Amino acid sequence: MAHRLLARRIWTLSIKDISCHPASSATIAPSFSTSLQSATTRVSFLTPSRTLPRSLPHTSRRAVSFNVQDNEDFTERVINSELPVLVDFHAQWCGPCKILGPRLEKAVAKQKGRVAMAKVDIDDHTDLAIEYGVSAVPTVIAMRGGDVVDHFVGIKDDDELDSFVSKIIGQ
Amino acid sequence: HNFSFFLSFFLFLGGKYDYDLVVIGGGSGGLACSKEAAQFGQKVAVLDYVDPTVKGKIKIWGLGGTCVNVGCIPKKLIHQAALFGTALKDAKKYGWQISEPVCHDWATMMEGVQNHVRSLNWGHRVQLQDKKVKYLNFKGSLVDEHTVKGLTKAGKETILTAKNIVIVTGGRPKYPTNIPGAVEHGITSDDMFWLKKSPGKTLVVGASYVALECAGFLTGIGLDTTVMVRSIALRGFDQQMAGLVTDYMETYGTKFAWKCVPKRVDKLSSGALQVTWTDTQTGGEHQDTYDSVLWAVGRAPETKALGLDKLGVKLNQETGKIVLATDESTSVPNIYALGDIGEGRPELTPTAIKAGKLLARRLAGQSAELMNYDNVPTTVFTPLEYGCVGLSEEEAEKRHGKDNIEVYHAFYKPLEFTVAERDASQCYIKVVCKRFGDQTILGLHFTGPNAGEVMQGFAMGFQCGATYSHLSQTVGIHPTCAEEVVKVNITKHSGLDATVTGC
Repeated sequence: MAHRLLARRIWTLSIKDISCHPASSATIAPSFSTSLQSATTRVSFLTPSRTLPRSLPHTSRRAVSFNVQDNEDFTERVINSELPVLVDFHAQWCGPCKILGPRLEKAVAKQKGRVAMAKVDIDDHTDLAIEYGVSAVPTVIAMRGGDVVDHFVGIKDDDELDSFVSKIIGQ
Repeated sequence: HNFSFFLSFFLFLGGKYDYDLVVIGGGSGGLACSKEAAQFGQKVAVLDYVDPTVKGKIKIWGLGGTCVNVGCIPKKLIHQAALFGTALKDAKKYGWQISEPVCHDWATMMEGVQNHVRSLNWGHRVQLQDKKVKYLNFKGSLVDEHTVKGLTKAGKETILTAKNIVIVTGGRPKYPTNIPGAVEHGITSDDMFWLKKSPGKTLVVGASYVALECAGFLTGIGLDTTVMVRSIALRGFDQQMAGLVTDYMETYGTKFAWKCVPKRVDKLSSGALQVTWTDTQTGGEHQDTYDSVLWAVGRAPETKALGLDKLGVKLNQETGKIVLATDESTSVPNIYALGDIGEGRPELTPTAIKAGKLLARRLAGQSAELMNYDNVPTTVFTPLEYGCVGLSEEEAEKRHGKDNIEVYHAFYKPLEFTVAERDASQCYIKVVCKRFGDQTILGLHFTGPNAGEVMQGFAMGFQCGATYSHLSQTVGIHPTCAEEVVKVNITKHSGLDATVTGC
């Protein structure tokens, strides 16, 4: 329990570092990983070769969400995530998804790194979406420790999303 | 029904077969059949796989078959896009201040169309999941009458055993392999609906409904389009009606090269395609350049890779389609087939769906009802749409004798065309009836806007054995084009002018 809290604190600290230092991903990653390796081995997703370069945005603002690339990526970054993860199942052809996406990112960003957000395009990852029982889109599922703890279908407004996200973190 | 359910459950328990039913092909027929079978408690798997188009550059499409991905659905949507083009021109006469020039953007249209197609692919996946049908993205082939081999794209093999197998693999557009350059430089409808860029100046070779519908919508969105016809248009359809359809297209800007046959296609250094063709009437040779050449010269059944000859499944020598009995069974017990792949079956989605459902019910022991392939209505979605049900005039003459049929007809003008100052010369209705007795309607033909919508209700009347007197007893809905159908009263025999006016 203690090491998990420690990892989380280091994660939060490091994120703050990143947001303050808009340097290239290459310079940040090595220093980040050495400090981490001494702390814990469980936080598998925070390895220099993979996570940081991907999660750092091309814009100056830190990216709140990441696009799931394949099943391994989903296992690593969602199922095995230390943080609770919101998974946004969406589709290119879905109008409401385009409205919910940014709103969800806003709600997640407010939590300042206490929750992660994964985006799954159901046309690219149909089997994964079917596996999680997605029928209509957008469907958002909340995962913690590899288990689905909550979900909703359709659009929600900012307040509803804030409370949904808080509930996931709070418990 | 209880006994057959218990029996198949018992056999399954005995580990005899992996599945009660394996359906090869996830198109209109395959999906309907598999979902219906699952509903009756059968253990069903559907194998769907799309071979890349010859072009190979086109992304493989999703679940749903030809209709959803490269047929009816995108066709109708693009036809609608083209109709909007005409509507915009008409709108000005109705007072809309539309600034010229009005252009069409292919990419915007395609994005909308493909988004809808993808939503349907997804919808089908969800439905299969809901109905507990196992979906496998494998290329299926037959090993024996109870065994199917499934091949993944990577080449991995899986063997499935089934009590019954249904082949619903449909067809693919043909390439004229005897024409040099046809395969390398031309495209088919399979490619058309996924083009990222506008096809530009297009030559459509063929005169089937696929050729005319494609040429029609390409013209409608503003592209320079030519149709090259070897002999006649819409073979198999009423030829008087086919003439009206092509006349309208010619009036509205589609060019026709009648009685011409392409000889070769070459690619020029500019990237344009140079087509050389022969005018079979004069014997002369001609050439012209196009941005795209669309082959719409027929569809070939997808039977080659199925291993049918090994099992002795009888095919029609000429068409290559599977020979079927009225209950969709093939020459091999436990193997059935339906949809486009069936010999003598209409190449239509609704018949494949209905036949699929009825077959599933029969296989589950729920019913003995056979598919009725008579009285199937259809519509050609050319710029001037043509809807029909029943016999063509020439077929009715052949079956009953010219003196035993009465043809009521009318040239009418849709009200919407009046203010728009549109030419309605080809808007026409023909009701072919038996001449004597009740004057049973043998065939109904209609060219005009929304022909499909107009024809659907009449198809029901036709199915109920409607007679001319039923028709004339029906009060029309005013003002519509459809009302002109119930008002037909001038016969061809009378020789009177068939032009009718509104009120």
